[in-house]
Amino acid sequence: MAQPRVTPKAQEALDEDEQTGKAPDAKLYEELGELARFIDTTMKTLSEFSAPVNASTEQLPQAQTHLLNLKTQTEQGTHRVMLEVEAIQENHVQANKMLKDIAQALQHASVDPGLIQQMHALGQTLGQNDKRLLDIMTALSFQDLVAQSVNKLVTILDEVEHRLLQLVVVFGPYQKQAAKTDQSKASEMLKQLEATKNTSMDQDLADEILKQFGFN
Amino acid sequence: MPADPNMKILVVDDMSTMRRIVKNILKQLGFNNLEEAENGQDALTKLHADTYGFVVSDWNMPVMMGIDMLRAIRADEKLKKIPVLMVTAEAQKENLMEAVQAGVSNYVVKPFTAETMQDKINKIFK
Repeated sequence: MAQPRVTPKAQEALDEDEQTGKAPDAKLYEELGELARFIDTTMKTLSEFSAPVNASTEQLPQAQTHLLNLKTQTEQGTHRVMLEVEAIQENHVQANKMLKDIAQALQHASVDPGLIQQMHALGQTLGQNDKRLLDIMTALSFQDLVAQSVNKLVTILDEVEHRLLQLVVVFGPYQKQAAKTDQSKASEMLKQLEATKNTSMDQDLADEILKQFGFN
Repeated sequence: MPADPNMKILVVDDMSTMRRIVKNILKQLGFNNLEEAENGQDALTKLHADTYGFVVSDWNMPVMMGIDMLRAIRADEKLKKIPVLMVTAEAQKENLMEAVQAGVSNYVVKPFTAETMQDKINKIFK
């Protein structure tokens, strides 16, 4: 009958057991105990991160609010400037019309041609200003680019908040030594977090998760 | 054929500031019949409800992106001949190719000048 094949690593362990005089079961039990203590230490170390994670998670919605306020303020400021530009543009239309009427009247009145030339020059100046006003208007498109960047930042922060809350949910029950009911609630919250992954997370859900794990 | 200054133009953008800028430029270029929509879906509803001669649209919008609106326009027997100018911050080559394949009439990259807008409109209606 063929002998079962023994790997070099297993052979080494068997040799060690033979030398120490320990039964294989006792050795395995000892190693499992070591592993359990290592996992326990690791989990405790990880749970020490929960306070800074919680602090960061709590601040993220504030950061998002600040960013959205920034977008709103630039939008309002841009509209304010546009309102003024449009008013000046409208005034220019009226001024140009009046200039033409006056120039025609002066021509019929046989006044100094120099004066009529000055009227034309004034019209040209208004035209140049119209061009500048249009340049100001188009330059205000910076607000759209700012808004797009802000939206991207808000999306990133939302994703970071999701990840941090997942950490809070995963390590929260361990740290607080929660009962089984809390653990099943944690699973439910993870499902809810996953469901909101591609949308903006409900603030109530975020608050509820933090509250469940002792964060206020 | 030069652009008809009285044709109805639909300006599509989710940002109110951009709609105002584009409308202002079009007004300065002599177009007076200007309407606006906040996204592609809103635009399609308005395009079906009235007769438009030209659409100026943003690319990146909620509800329906500009590129999806463009594809819907080109697939619609009633709307497919309407010229569509895309105004977008998406300057990547792939986006431009995507827009061309979808049937865009021309493409303006933000930030742009009034001259660029005029030049593109002239090329569409030449």
